Amino acid sequence: MSSENTHTDTFPFGPAKPVYLNFIEKSFQKQIAYKFEYFVGVLNGLLFIFVFTSLWNAIYAGADTLEGSPFTRSQMISYAVFAMLFRISMTMEDNEIGRKIRTGAISMDFIKPVSYPLMLFSEAIGQTLFHWFTRVIPLSIISLLAFDAVMPQAPSAYVLTAIAWVLGYSILYIINFGFSLLAFWFTEVFSFQLMKFGLFTLFSGGIVPIDFFPDFAKPLIALIPFQYILYVPTSIFIGHIQGAEAIRLLLIQAVWVFTLGFICWRVWKAAQKKLIIQGG
Amino acid sequence: MMSDDNSIIRVNNLSRHFTVADGKSGFIGSIQNLFSRRYTTKKAVDDISFSIAKGDFVGYVGENGAGKSTTIKMLTGILVPTSGKIVVAGNVPHINRAQNARNIGVVFGQRTQLWWDLPVLESFDLLRSIFRVPEDDFKRNFEELSETLELGPLLKVPVRKLSLGQRMRCDLTAALLHNPRILFLDEPTIGLDIIAKDYVRKFLKMVNKERETTIILTTHDMDDIEALCSRIIILDQGKIAYDGSTEKLKIDYVREKAIEIELHEDDTGTISIPNVKLVKSTANKKWLRFNQDDISVQEVVSQIMRERRVKDIAIHEPKVGDIIKNIYANGKAASQQTKLQKTLP
Repeated sequence: MSSENTHTDTFPFGPAKPVYLNFIEKSFQKQIAYKFEYFVGVLNGLLFIFVFTSLWNAIYAGADTLEGSPFTRSQMISYAVFAMLFRISMTMEDNEIGRKIRTGAISMDFIKPVSYPLMLFSEAIGQTLFHWFTRVIPLSIISLLAFDAVMPQAPSAYVLTAIAWVLGYSILYIINFGFSLLAFWFTEVFSFQLMKFGLFTLFSGGIVPIDFFPDFAKPLIALIPFQYILYVPTSIFIGHIQGAEAIRLLLIQAVWVFTLGFICWRVWKAAQKKLIIQGG
Repeated sequence: MMSDDNSIIRVNNLSRHFTVADGKSGFIGSIQNLFSRRYTTKKAVDDISFSIAKGDFVGYVGENGAGKSTTIKMLTGILVPTSGKIVVAGNVPHINRAQNARNIGVVFGQRTQLWWDLPVLESFDLLRSIFRVPEDDFKRNFEELSETLELGPLLKVPVRKLSLGQRMRCDLTAALLHNPRILFLDEPTIGLDIIAKDYVRKFLKMVNKERETTIILTTHDMDDIEALCSRIIILDQGKIAYDGSTEKLKIDYVREKAIEIELHEDDTGTISIPNVKLVKSTANKKWLRFNQDDISVQEVVSQIMRERRVKDIAIHEPKVGDIIKNIYANGKAASQQTKLQKTLP
């Protein structure tokens, strides 16, 4: 060995971390890899918030209330801003499994002694934390200054929203995961993804609050899980839904999480078998 | 059945069938395919048995579609056998997949187990968590591997920016960080340049020797086999066409030898020995070919030495690659020959 060899016994690792915590951390780190993409993303968010707040401002036409709308103008603006921010906070890769099945890369995951769904979930959490810190918080500050969105006063609104957000996030995650599992059977799942995207866009309340749907549609929408993803957390946050009604909706959210979670878990078991029976 | 106590992998009567859709071609055919399809069964692996001893370095070869990767997938637990038994270091892979995963390291040449967007170092840190490698082992392993494979300058680089050779070095490290008892390599030298190939081979030889890791290598590169494997299993259409030492393969299958002779400048005579073919001849150089069943190397050489003034002589060993090509070419004849040899003491 040459003398200039600066001995490799510099051990560049910290203490060992629990595996799923480590997945969260690495997933967070991964997001930073593409800086340009990040800035474009922030700009995109700002643009969307601008478009929707402008739209509602135009619809309200300077008035404080609107015929047939349960929202005041300021509530409506807040709804548009926070629905968009919550939506951004929930950005997640929704077809990683499909991609890995098509390319066969999934076999590299299956030879690791970890729970695959937990690994993916940890990665999603890492992504979400990244979006919160680097997109949602800066965009919130800009929005509060630039578009007269209002933050709630009561601390209870924050607590309830936090719970509603976690449950809504879980519902979305489980739906995404469940749909991506279809790739085990169909390989190409683009049309399913498109269907999911359509349902989500229409019925999650991300663009139009459920209140604006015709009366006959509301009970039907209440039967599918999508409004619990964005509409419920956003409505609780802006004070549109309060008190006992808020608690009731949180409970329904929880029921959805468990029901969908259970279905997904069964599908996952079948999918796993399918893969190792069919070959990766 | 062989009851080899030293064996770390045991495979008995292993088969794996796939159903393949028999699609009709053309536009009308494609539409018909949407509604009805006929299926045929393909035997990717057809009733094979072998056992591999601890510390062996085994070449697992065969043409594309011979069933190599299917076998490896079953040994690593990501594919269920149609029938037959597999035990890998005490585990049935597809039943105890996670448990089996802790005992094995895997390198698939066309894939990576590193995280694409993260620096190499972070992937290693993740693998340490995944395999719960004890602190001391990890430190020792990492330092040893990164020194031998000269990873120093690569550690901070995102995986996607590595060259293929660099990535292979990192992937080899990733597969060995948890000190697996068995290492599966599926075409680890594919796409590498000669220098990188040589490097990887030297490293694998060392791992096999010093860590006593059992290595199963599938490759299309016969130089890999010749340089590394003490034993070779040849697969042909899902069946084992040959299983034995690499040396024995040469003895068994190639009776033909080639001799190259350079004569002194003043010796312009020719060589004529019964049963030996003069393939090519120039003023001072002769190329000979013969079958060892007809005449031995010794006889040929000594006769030449008696008759001519020889300056230089070279006897060419058959290349394993050529032998295997021969086996593929006359698969049936070859497998019969193997069976014959197996029944003989």
